[in-house]
Amino acid sequence: MKEVIVHPKRCVGCMQCMPACATAHSRTRHLVSAVLETPQPKPRVHVGAGRFNEGFPNRCRHCDPAPCQLTCLTGAIYRHAGTQTVMIDPDRCINCASCAMACPYGVIRFHEDPLGPPGRAVAVKCDNCVARVAEGQIPACVEACKVGALTYEERDTAMKRQTLAVARSMSSGAGEPVLPPGVGLLRTMKESQVQLLKG
Amino acid sequence: MFDPEHSLSVTQDADRLYAKAREDGIETVWERHTAQQPQCGFCDMGLSCRICVMGPCRVDPFGEGPQRGVCGADADIIVARNLCRMIAAGAASHSDHGRDLVEVLAGVADGTAKGYKIRDEAKLKKLAAEYGITTDGEDVLVLAGELAEAMMEDYGMRRRAINLVARAPQKRRELWDRVGLTPRGIDRETSEMMHRTHMGVDNDWQSLLLQGMRNALSDGWGGSMIATEVSDILFGVPTPRVTSVNAGVLKKDQVNIVVHGHNPVVSEMVSQACTAPELLALAKEKGAQGINLVGLCCTGNELLMRRGIAMAGNHLMTELILSTGAVDMMIVDYQCIMPSVGQAATCYHTKMISTSDKARFPHMEHHEFHPDNAEAKAMQVVRTAVENFVNRGRVFIPVEPREAMGGFSVEAILGALGGTPAPLVEAVKAGKIRGAVGIVGCNNPKIKHDYGHVTLTRRLVENDILVVDTGCVSVANAKAGYKMPEAAEMAGPGLKEICRALGIPPVLHLGSCVDNVRILVLLSALADALGVDISDLPVAGSAPEWYSEKAVTIAVYFVASGVTTHLGPMPPITGSMNVVNLLTSGLNDVVGATFAVEPDPEKAAVFLRQHIEDKRRALGLDARRV
Amino acid sequence: MKYVILGNGIAGVCAAEAIRTLDLEGEIVMVGDETFLPYSRPMISYVLDGSEPHDKLPIRPADFYESMKIKPVLGQRAVSLDVENRRVQLADSTCIDYDRLLIATGADPRPLRAAHMDLGGIFYLRTESHVRQQVAALSTARRALVLGGGLVGLKAAYALLKRGLEVTLLITSGYPLSLQVDEIAGKMVLDELLRRGLKVLVGRSVRAFEGNGVVRAAVTDTGSRLPCDMVIIAKGVLPSRDFIPRQHIHVDLGVVVDDHLQTSAAGIHAAGDVAESVDISRGCRWVNALWPEAAVQGRIAGLNMAGRPVVYPGSMSRNVLRVYDLDVLTLGHANPGPEEGCRIVWSGGPGKGRYRSLVLKDDILVGAVLVNQVEQGGVLCALMENRVPLRLSTSRLMAPDFNFACLLP
Repeated sequence: MKEVIVHPKRCVGCMQCMPACATAHSRTRHLVSAVLETPQPKPRVHVGAGRFNEGFPNRCRHCDPAPCQLTCLTGAIYRHAGTQTVMIDPDRCINCASCAMACPYGVIRFHEDPLGPPGRAVAVKCDNCVARVAEGQIPACVEACKVGALTYEERDTAMKRQTLAVARSMSSGAGEPVLPPGVGLLRTMKESQVQLLKG
Repeated sequence: MFDPEHSLSVTQDADRLYAKAREDGIETVWERHTAQQPQCGFCDMGLSCRICVMGPCRVDPFGEGPQRGVCGADADIIVARNLCRMIAAGAASHSDHGRDLVEVLAGVADGTAKGYKIRDEAKLKKLAAEYGITTDGEDVLVLAGELAEAMMEDYGMRRRAINLVARAPQKRRELWDRVGLTPRGIDRETSEMMHRTHMGVDNDWQSLLLQGMRNALSDGWGGSMIATEVSDILFGVPTPRVTSVNAGVLKKDQVNIVVHGHNPVVSEMVSQACTAPELLALAKEKGAQGINLVGLCCTGNELLMRRGIAMAGNHLMTELILSTGAVDMMIVDYQCIMPSVGQAATCYHTKMISTSDKARFPHMEHHEFHPDNAEAKAMQVVRTAVENFVNRGRVFIPVEPREAMGGFSVEAILGALGGTPAPLVEAVKAGKIRGAVGIVGCNNPKIKHDYGHVTLTRRLVENDILVVDTGCVSVANAKAGYKMPEAAEMAGPGLKEICRALGIPPVLHLGSCVDNVRILVLLSALADALGVDISDLPVAGSAPEWYSEKAVTIAVYFVASGVTTHLGPMPPITGSMNVVNLLTSGLNDVVGATFAVEPDPEKAAVFLRQHIEDKRRALGLDARRV
Repeated sequence: MKYVILGNGIAGVCAAEAIRTLDLEGEIVMVGDETFLPYSRPMISYVLDGSEPHDKLPIRPADFYESMKIKPVLGQRAVSLDVENRRVQLADSTCIDYDRLLIATGADPRPLRAAHMDLGGIFYLRTESHVRQQVAALSTARRALVLGGGLVGLKAAYALLKRGLEVTLLITSGYPLSLQVDEIAGKMVLDELLRRGLKVLVGRSVRAFEGNGVVRAAVTDTGSRLPCDMVIIAKGVLPSRDFIPRQHIHVDLGVVVDDHLQTSAAGIHAAGDVAESVDISRGCRWVNALWPEAAVQGRIAGLNMAGRPVVYPGSMSRNVLRVYDLDVLTLGHANPGPEEGCRIVWSGGPGKGRYRSLVLKDDILVGAVLVNQVEQGGVLCALMENRVPLRLSTSRLMAPDFNFACLLP
């Protein structure tokens, strides 16, 4: 089964996954019209800044067992049998924020959602784009990501690829796979800058 | 990343005013910088392209995703095009500022620019001669008109080379001709840069960058240089004078007017109005002891250099200064005025006035200044400021002001040396002064406010390297105490001896950011005195906290003129290692100078000292190990 | 194998479900005092405030017992436990034998000792039947009195305010939520409620009620008379463990369990509000009577009972409360005494629209209070549960832009 896999070292912090996600979870599903919708669709993937201001696409891991599901007061959080996706039923959700204290990744938000009941805030998080996938598309964040920080593939495939990359660079004596020089250069500069700022 | 546990600035007034601003609920540049994290990596690497609407496009720096834009441009082309457009924008900004001064000069000549006059006839005549205008017996105003006309021609398209290029050493001019870098017209080079970066024109990243350099030179030896020289003609050549700096220059018991921006055309008129007896009388009537005009940013530097007007702060101080609650009016012209300052001012009684037909801002009253109405407009707005004095709320002036000496034009420096660069050349040859570094540029919330400037200056001065500075750096160094002759104590033994002998500080304030051209003129004089090219001199440039497109252009004209230049923040070029390598090493073979990027000023100081000692060795002078 | 589960609250339900993941055949008997379908106890305050209907309370389908092959014995409480003979006796004297026993009897409201408690209109707020009666009483109620400034008291007061009643809250301590939050956060909550019309009396308790069949007033210990036609008592809860023989099973405040949620008697586990486990943030035994803990404990106890050893890492206090425009989230040991040697850092406060305090013991986060911007609370909670030594500055943890990415290497 394919799933969204995050490759943190690849994220360049462009945040393009965020509007793509919001658009995919809008009523009109087009960026231009989605921004005009009321309530406004909001992203369910959140690019946060790390210690050196590097980007990180933070999205639901669909944990098993899922702490949010265990803590949900109303049973609104459930696991989609076919895809193992942890879903929130917006009509059962009472917006109590119990899941906010359960989610170790801080990916759940509370707001009125175009796909939820009107006039009422509910808990909202990644649903693995089940609607898009059912239509034969891939999740919107993966489609938007041009650097391979988010991929949609079998977990095994991704692991094998990673193992192979490490093995190749190890056997060529290069050690851990290195970043492209421009990327490495910029990161070094930014790390140095942030460290100086704190010093 | 903003972390309130760590202070944001090396200056006390900034830290205290920041705390006050936060208490008052003002959002500052630091909060907005934090809110922007993480910043887009494509943009940071120069790999995003918005030039045409087949796009927008971006290139995956990891090599797996798209490697070309829709048009087919690869990373090298996209990075080069983006950088070149930054250069064009910077050149356009300075040069357009210069054009505004030429228009005033023309207005003085035809009598329409009331209130302005020729303050330095000698300089006018010198410039006229450089432009090939016969000065014998000519009426001053006629001369001014002819010079303005000739300068306007420099902006055009029809010349082989702009006039003031002739000021560069012969070797440099020959090199430029050989490589094809001689700028032909100020607007022309910017225009051609924009043309070349249009989709489907110049798609050789190297040739793009060469045009980028020519474009920058059209600013350094053209637009900016005209801006400085015409300012000197209209408002006087700066001479050394002592003034005061930091937020403490605001006065509790006086009407405080802050001028912010870059062009002296407005601030000079405001400065005159502040001395008008009727307005001073009105101030008394309102309970104020006087009218206190102070500067922010480079328009402040322009006034400081020529009038000794006090300086309240540099770029990152422009929002904070409002939180004193002591600013009765802020008058802005253009460039580097954050669109947020008007909003910040709404928390206080401060009246915000915009003055340029080119530059409008939210939450500001617009009073358009033109050469023909500037004198009257200045009287009008200063009157409003005085009347606003009674509306003040709580006033918080965080520190006592500090003394600083400014006003070191090239003429003033040569004057201090006895009319010739020879004593300076001798001191360099003798090794008492190892060399000189021009530290220039802005502030940037990515660097602790003024930390880069002050740290680098300290390390260089300690090691007998003379520092000249402009713009935001000069304010930082003045606040840190480097601008008084007593600061010679902080210098290494050789530099200390020279400073004491001449009665000058170890850090010389050369003016605003357009005044970086004074550095080019000074270096040309030194190179000529030694019979070498600029790139042979033991000198360097540095912009430890730069942020703006203008700074890119300055850095590029420094390097294209032969001055190796250090940058603190990384420009958006790392998406192309070809471009990085050309700029940081390949350019040595083209123009005899390169860029170096290093955020840490301590490490940058080591690099710059090494560079200076290497140049000394090449000149056959003694060289120290760094 | 015969499993007997005492209690049909969330701990019992989760235990039964966990057992069924491993043992499809074993017999499960579930003894429950309440006859209603398994429901969400924390949701009853939402029913009281009118935001959710009573029929949304059930959290399992109507055929829950049947589909799980559970024999329900409802409307009954255990009255004694014979550990040696593995037998439980119920109130109606029937006995049930077991191989594995789960004590998940929960807790009962701490009773108020005052005169004339038998008057109508005086309620506790613990069960769906309580809330059903309260909602029915709303139509005639105008003036309500809520006793107790803890979570339940505040939720009750908030609910009745939302219903348009005139509400007076009596707090014995100096500020509300004094067990959960520090004084600053407590004051922010109080200010919000006062702004919405709540009346608050501090340092007072009720001695007696007056009325004729139904309550008309309460008399406080200072002798003042507070007119009211509805009273909700919320003075906390006590574990339901009177039937447990102390000579066989270690009972403290609650039933003491080990790291597999087993009691001191083999084959007997305990979970939920009745269990006393090690509190991760306090480093000592504690009864954390909380819904999410009960769910997790039930699940782990069930797995252990069915033969799969699973370690329970310990409990931790946590609560979230939404009062009008204020979200309050508390984690762990959020309000330690000065003698406990904790370092407390905080930012924001009343008037700032946001407050965050962190409690640290050495470099371990042991408690936190968040008022508004609570979305990252779970990240802090994970740091506490896993006792991760802090590498980030506390100001980074408190900054509005704090997020999971800051923790990455």
